[in-house]
Amino acid sequence: MAIIKGESVSRAGRPVGLARSIGPAGPARPTKSARPMIEVKNLRKEYPVVDETVVALERINLTIPKGQICCIYGESGSGKSTLLNQLAGMEKPTRGGVRIGGVVVSELDERELAAFRQRHLGFVFQSYNLLPNLNAIENVAMPLMFRGVPKAKREAIARGILKRVGLGRRMTHYPTQMSGGQQQRVGIARAFVAKPQVVFADEPTGNLDSRTKVDVMEMIVGFARELDQTIVLVTHDDNMAQYADRIVTLLDGRIVGDKLIDRAA
Amino acid sequence: MRFTDILHLCSQNLFRRKSRTILTVLGVIVGCCSIVTMVSIGSGINEMNEQSLKQMGDLTIINVYKQGNYDGFGASNSTGGQTDNKLDDKAIESFKQIPGVEGATAQMSLNYTITMTADNGRYIATYGDVQAIDMSQLENMGYKLTEGAAPTKSGEILAGQYLAYQFYDKFRPEGSNVRYQPQDAGDGTYWTCDSTGNCSQVPADQLGEESKPFFNPMNTEITLTIQTGDSSGGGSAGGSGGGVMMGVGGMSGSTDMGGTGSGSGSGTGSGSAGANGSGNTFKLRATGVLKEDYNKGSATSSGVLMDISQLKDMIAKADKSAAKTTTYEQALVKVSDITQVSDVEQQIKDMGFSTSSYEEIRKQMEEQSRGIQMALGGIGAVSLLVAAIGITNTMVMSVTERTREIGIMKALGCYVRDIRIMFLGEAGFIGLLGGVIGCLLSAVISIGINLVYMGGVSGENIWHAIVGGENVTRLSVIPWWLFVFAILFSTAIGLVSGFQPANKAVKIPALDAIKNQQ
Repeated sequence: MAIIKGESVSRAGRPVGLARSIGPAGPARPTKSARPMIEVKNLRKEYPVVDETVVALERINLTIPKGQICCIYGESGSGKSTLLNQLAGMEKPTRGGVRIGGVVVSELDERELAAFRQRHLGFVFQSYNLLPNLNAIENVAMPLMFRGVPKAKREAIARGILKRVGLGRRMTHYPTQMSGGQQQRVGIARAFVAKPQVVFADEPTGNLDSRTKVDVMEMIVGFARELDQTIVLVTHDDNMAQYADRIVTLLDGRIVGDKLIDRAA
Repeated sequence: MRFTDILHLCSQNLFRRKSRTILTVLGVIVGCCSIVTMVSIGSGINEMNEQSLKQMGDLTIINVYKQGNYDGFGASNSTGGQTDNKLDDKAIESFKQIPGVEGATAQMSLNYTITMTADNGRYIATYGDVQAIDMSQLENMGYKLTEGAAPTKSGEILAGQYLAYQFYDKFRPEGSNVRYQPQDAGDGTYWTCDSTGNCSQVPADQLGEESKPFFNPMNTEITLTIQTGDSSGGGSAGGSGGGVMMGVGGMSGSTDMGGTGSGSGSGTGSGSAGANGSGNTFKLRATGVLKEDYNKGSATSSGVLMDISQLKDMIAKADKSAAKTTTYEQALVKVSDITQVSDVEQQIKDMGFSTSSYEEIRKQMEEQSRGIQMALGGIGAVSLLVAAIGITNTMVMSVTERTREIGIMKALGCYVRDIRIMFLGEAGFIGLLGGVIGCLLSAVISIGINLVYMGGVSGENIWHAIVGGENVTRLSVIPWWLFVFAILFSTAIGLVSGFQPANKAVKIPALDAIKNQQ
């Protein structure tokens, strides 16, 4: 994990620095020369609340190239989770569009979206979201099961990846028999098992202690680097943000900062 | 998603909520059981009806009458618009051509006064029904023989089962010159009466000589005399009767057998000689004995049955003045299957004949028992409806509980169709399981009901309770289709009950999973 600069990561839990990484406001800067994986154009999302309309996202323009680990950083209520939902096709934007790998996900119907998620997207959730009646192997193999991969084959793949996340001896355990960190490792294994092009991670370390946080982040970054996968990481924890190549800062539904982390430094 | 994976998830989900699944299945079991048991009792009533109808007569035989001659119950509805409605040999042949007809025969009776004598005139009967059918149709029409075989030659007949009891012995004194046929009391004993009319009940093996007829028709030639014309017929009947009476009267005072023999012999001889001039006496030999059957007429018990051509010959010889017989009063048509009876009957009516069969009664009884079956089934259906509500309740709870899981599955790319199949599968499985167990249970209940109805548990009773048998009445009969129907119906109820919850499940947005809730 040479990509991670030791000094930039504090292993001790410390208060979240609010404005530390907020850069100059303005449109997203063009990043590396790699072809774009995710393109967001002029995105707007409104929610009707009682008799008024709340604008959650406004004029979002964002291009994430393939292989980039992009952190969407912001306080609660800044709209970062809403942005993730738009990116992953969980919600339809009010205006504007999202394109992933050339496919306009905001225009797919339910079935196409399901097929698209099976093939191209992975998810890591804050609250792990493992199915309680499936054991570790079955949970990890679930995305492959949705694709119709035969049981023997998908479970072999799941076993391999579980070993890699260090759960070789807990494969048949059920979620309730595992600690939070272990559950999140199962969650990560599940997100990467189908080798998706993009993995969305929504506060993946939100429920973990600071030591486990580091393990989990290193694991996500490690997988992503290996297969040149694109990661969209939503967090309000600036320590975690430091694992990213790029930090996009949201405030009140607008991008207020976009800066690349120089790994070479 | 593979179907086996969906099934696996279904069973896992059901197994996870064991007690709830068991309770829901229990509801279906009760519902299924009540339907099957109720309908089986309806079927049992149906079976009893069929059996009692069979005792009444052969359900597949249609009686055909020439138009307007039928005065039985149930009006004939053919209006006879056709001219071709003479009930003759041609008509009989055309009946045989109707699809589903196994055989047909005309039925003729001898409408003359007759006298039968046996053993050179010693035994005399002044009454006896002489009937004729096409002997080749004997078996088709359901006539049964207790011994012997059907006649093949002219002069051969079949004797009624109790024909010999019709004869009295002119050599014996009054008070002992008749024999009464013992009556089956139904419990292995017989009522038997002596010539004086004193009756007693004795076991079957104690029936004495006085209960048997004077002769065996199988090895005794019978002489049949047909009395025709007005004066000669009346005179011969009077002469014959008088002769016998005198003979008997002469007998009463005498114990000398030889004397009575000669006296009455001459009496009968003169009687028959008076009527014999026109060739109206026929010597007949029985080749078999018919089994008594009230549906076939008294010929089967106290008369004789012969081939129709022979009867025609006899009439032609005995009564020169009678027109040659070409049409018949009545015919019998045998249908191969009970389900075709009404069709065939209608076709015969359309040809311009009146008909009667047990079909009408059978239909009424069947409708009645179907009504009972429906009513009982309806009562059972109510409990299955309650079970259906139970399934819906279980599935709705399950969907609510699993909202998050469904969201996760959708977020990870599970097709909506697969989620729907999963929930429908769970509901259907509850129905199927309840149906199968319910059927097994109701089979046991049915056997139990029958055993109680038959009044006791024995090896034979258990066997009869399950499969039935001749002369076995069962209160509860489960036809095989009822099991199939019950299982399919329970499964369908499950699927229908699961439909709304499954729709609810697929509408859960994936977003619910991605929201950070604890």
